[in-house]
Amino acid sequence: MDALVSQLETPRSQQELYNSEEEQEQLALSLSPSLKFALPPIAQSQAWLRAMTDDYSNPNCPIKIAHGTTTLAFRFQGGIIVCTDSRATAGNWIASQTVKKVIEINSSLLGTMAGGAADCQYWLAYLGMQCRLHELRSKRRITVAAASKILANLVYSYKGMGLSMGTMCAGVTPQEGPALYYIDSDGTRLAGNLFCVGSGQTFAYGVLDAEYRYDLTDEEALELGRRSILAAMHRDAYSGGFINLYHVKESGWVKHGFNDMNPIFWKTKLGKGEFSNVTADLN
Amino acid sequence: MSSPFSINGGAAVAMVGKDCVAIACDLRLGLQSLTVSNNYPKIFPYGDVYLGLTGLATDISTVSDLLRYKVNMYRLREERAISPQTLANLVSSSLYERRFGPYFVSPVIAGLNHKDGKPFICGFDSIGCIDFAKDFIVSGTASDQLFGMCEGLWEPDLGPDELFETISQALLSAVDRDALSGWGAHVYIIEKDKVTKRLLKGRQD
Amino acid sequence: MEVLLGITGKDFTIICASKAAMRGATILKASDDKTRNLNKHNLMAYSGEAGDTTQFAEYVQANVQLYSMRSGTHLGPDAVANFVRGEVAKALRSRRPYNVNLLLGGVDPTTGKPSLYWCDYLAALAKLPYAAHGYAQYYCLSILDKHHHPDIELDQGLKILRMCTDELKRRLPIDFKGVLVKIITKDGIREHDYVDDKQILPA
Repeated sequence: MDALVSQLETPRSQQELYNSEEEQEQLALSLSPSLKFALPPIAQSQAWLRAMTDDYSNPNCPIKIAHGTTTLAFRFQGGIIVCTDSRATAGNWIASQTVKKVIEINSSLLGTMAGGAADCQYWLAYLGMQCRLHELRSKRRITVAAASKILANLVYSYKGMGLSMGTMCAGVTPQEGPALYYIDSDGTRLAGNLFCVGSGQTFAYGVLDAEYRYDLTDEEALELGRRSILAAMHRDAYSGGFINLYHVKESGWVKHGFNDMNPIFWKTKLGKGEFSNVTADLN
Repeated sequence: MSSPFSINGGAAVAMVGKDCVAIACDLRLGLQSLTVSNNYPKIFPYGDVYLGLTGLATDISTVSDLLRYKVNMYRLREERAISPQTLANLVSSSLYERRFGPYFVSPVIAGLNHKDGKPFICGFDSIGCIDFAKDFIVSGTASDQLFGMCEGLWEPDLGPDELFETISQALLSAVDRDALSGWGAHVYIIEKDKVTKRLLKGRQD
Repeated sequence: MEVLLGITGKDFTIICASKAAMRGATILKASDDKTRNLNKHNLMAYSGEAGDTTQFAEYVQANVQLYSMRSGTHLGPDAVANFVRGEVAKALRSRRPYNVNLLLGGVDPTTGKPSLYWCDYLAALAKLPYAAHGYAQYYCLSILDKHHHPDIELDQGLKILRMCTDELKRRLPIDFKGVLVKIITKDGIREHDYVDDKQILPA
């Protein structure tokens, strides 16, 4: 009991990040996602990590982390729409146009990635593991509230160490109905109807807010999600590539394609006359 | 604050062909991540010589206007059009006049010599060092990508149509890997007595 | 948190600017007019550093008018825009640059064609069908991309403007005290009575 109390007393970051040589070896041997990380062997490891990896405070930082994203999710009468772009950038260099920023945690839970690509991938995979363990232990599906809380507590325990993520958890459970949570690396966790996250968030909000209603039909909602991401891809240099679209329903999520934005853009422009600032002919 | 060369974004490239030259630019004007305009051409004609300017948008306007004035004065005084070689020297000395407070631009010139019709291209750094080249010149935020594409695609003695294809593919592929340039392109193919201007519909992300 | 917006249509240009004059954490005035008439068919809206903005606006206003008196002709929208850009650019490489962002709305009185120029404090000039400055760019350009068409009528233009100001009220963390709306047509510049008292909350 005392051991348990003392374990709960120390924050996880102090508890598990200590790295003796012995633990370093264990680290090398473990095969599944763990909470043991090798830390730089210096006194101010947190400040040092920030200086090395945070290209916002230091544009010349030696370790460049992939950034730049637009992701959105909103609740409506028919469930939840989740939609993202697929671009990863390192500075002005487009590192990839085919990143999958929606993570399928299980058949009814989705997570989105914005911020550090590696941070999001790792921690959402870890969250998937925890959700499965919860399921095995309690014999029922984890709620979205609980799953998002696991993630929020987890990232909060590493606060100040340079984790960078803005994520959304979306799912439909018998207990909650359609539920949507926003979690970021500051430790914020919010339930809500509509969130956009990433460098292109404002552009997506612009289109989405203007036409969002809770009683949207499934077709309207899918189109609005797609169109909002398209708007952000067009205006935000760090968003682009493919439109990744999901619909979360009571029966689980349904994927609605991973489609190149280019033909969709020209169909929208030439078919509907939108994007009138883009020239389609000379002079 | 980021470098003045990469605030607005943009890319330009010039290539030599057989009895023809080509010059192309993208159409983006941005403010860091925000795309402000998708119709901001960076190639300016001075008679039958063409100048591409990338870098800080304000200096693109200032330098292109200044050179338009100087080239017009040259034409009135000399009673003939300016040749590509002369324009290159004019650009060079105009840029060096601002040695201690430079214009943040990377110019590219393409044209055919008036006397022998030989293709001429060259590029500059922001204070006027001329870079003569026999193959291609690149500039802008996608210049690393353009170097790679041009090294891979360019070959000697391309005809006007092949040259158009080559420069277009090089530019479009290069800007598709650069966050700050793209959003369409202009391509000029300059032949002895014909200049063809084309619009490329690039990716709009 | 200053808002500047411009929209062109079939035969008009709408210029819209926030009414709050802010200094630090204080709103000094809630009915500020951040625009100046340069001549009968050209209106300039400005934002940026306090002092620089009005000084610059009144300086170019006087010079555009002086030009008309001397030459007996009026400068068209393109000429005005390039003159103003030149002044910002000249100041940029001087000892004390003007820190101003501008929107230049106009209608060419001979052709009746509307025009809108966007110019930032670095003197980058762009002719656009619709434009904004500051945070408004990030929220409104995507709305305008979707809903704007080049040949819209005035009431449609105002409807799109309403979508933009609603979105700004919904998402901007500071109250900008509503907007002043001016419309330029071939008949000149007029202020539009823009009723804007509804509270808008995020979904």
